[in-house]
Amino acid sequence: MTPLKTISLALAFLPFALAAQDRYMTRSGHIAFFSATPMENIEGNNHKVTSVLDATSGAIEFAALVKAFEFEKALMQEHFNENYMESNTFPKATFKGKLTGAGAADLTTAGTYPVSVVGDLTLHGVTKPMTAQGTITVDAAGAVKATSEFFVKPEDHNIAIPGVVRKNIAETIKVTMKLDLVKM
Amino acid sequence: MNTKALILLGFVAVAIGGGYAWNEYTREKTKASELPVKETVTATELLTAFNTDDATATTRFVGTTEQVVQVSGTIRSVDVASNGITNVVLETGDAMAGVVCEFTADDVPDQWKAGDAITVKGICTGMLMDVVLVRCVPVA
Repeated sequence: MTPLKTISLALAFLPFALAAQDRYMTRSGHIAFFSATPMENIEGNNHKVTSVLDATSGAIEFAALVKAFEFEKALMQEHFNENYMESNTFPKATFKGKLTGAGAADLTTAGTYPVSVVGDLTLHGVTKPMTAQGTITVDAAGAVKATSEFFVKPEDHNIAIPGVVRKNIAETIKVTMKLDLVKM
Repeated sequence: MNTKALILLGFVAVAIGGGYAWNEYTREKTKASELPVKETVTATELLTAFNTDDATATTRFVGTTEQVVQVSGTIRSVDVASNGITNVVLETGDAMAGVVCEFTADDVPDQWKAGDAITVKGICTGMLMDVVLVRCVPVA
């Protein structure tokens, strides 16, 4: 291959190489949800959340296996899967949206960036628009951490809470997310 | 039966019922080591099953209630997280996907490293980018 052809080929693929540089992902993100009532507090944790962020376009997605949420007590976990989330029928929770407030250049520069995320959350088979505020932190070593907090109402996603236990579960559930993103 | 006996019977019934309810409420989750193994596969076979037909693989390996899958394979990586969790990723022949086995840090043998051939048991929860097993324990 002549030098000219080599250079031409390299230049042709350069945009793709650059695009690949701007994608960040994790396979072990953490989502926790917390329900606080006078009757009891309930917390579920999932440490196997996958997420991909395209820093150029701002497109962001995450997915979580419902059965990977862990609770302190067996009964809580069984009720969560069998009665509320019906995880045999709806095994995954997903989000697709757009992140604003931090671009490709920010994710390579140490600092703390307040961000907003707007998109669609699919839970229990029901998709609803969702907006959340968060923070992206880039440390001196280049590690990228994204955190966010948002609230979900079970009824918005057709999650039926029986009347006998309604007071045991908060009307609005607090969800926190922590993602340690690495460049793809 | 006289009134006193009925009242006593009532108290006994309430005590038994209350005891059962309290036991159920405080029941700890079953460890993978305490459940029978439902399926035994290699990591490659497990990933292939999900890639071929996710719904069928979910029925077989995830099931409708928690079930234990025993998986053998070669360690790709041992990733210690800061929250007391260690993820052991098994090779599958697919560089983009593996079988991720989530352990509590105390349950992972210190000597495990990339390249080791191991067998683990865990609760299969499905597949996103990887097949995910939680509450894993090593199999000697």
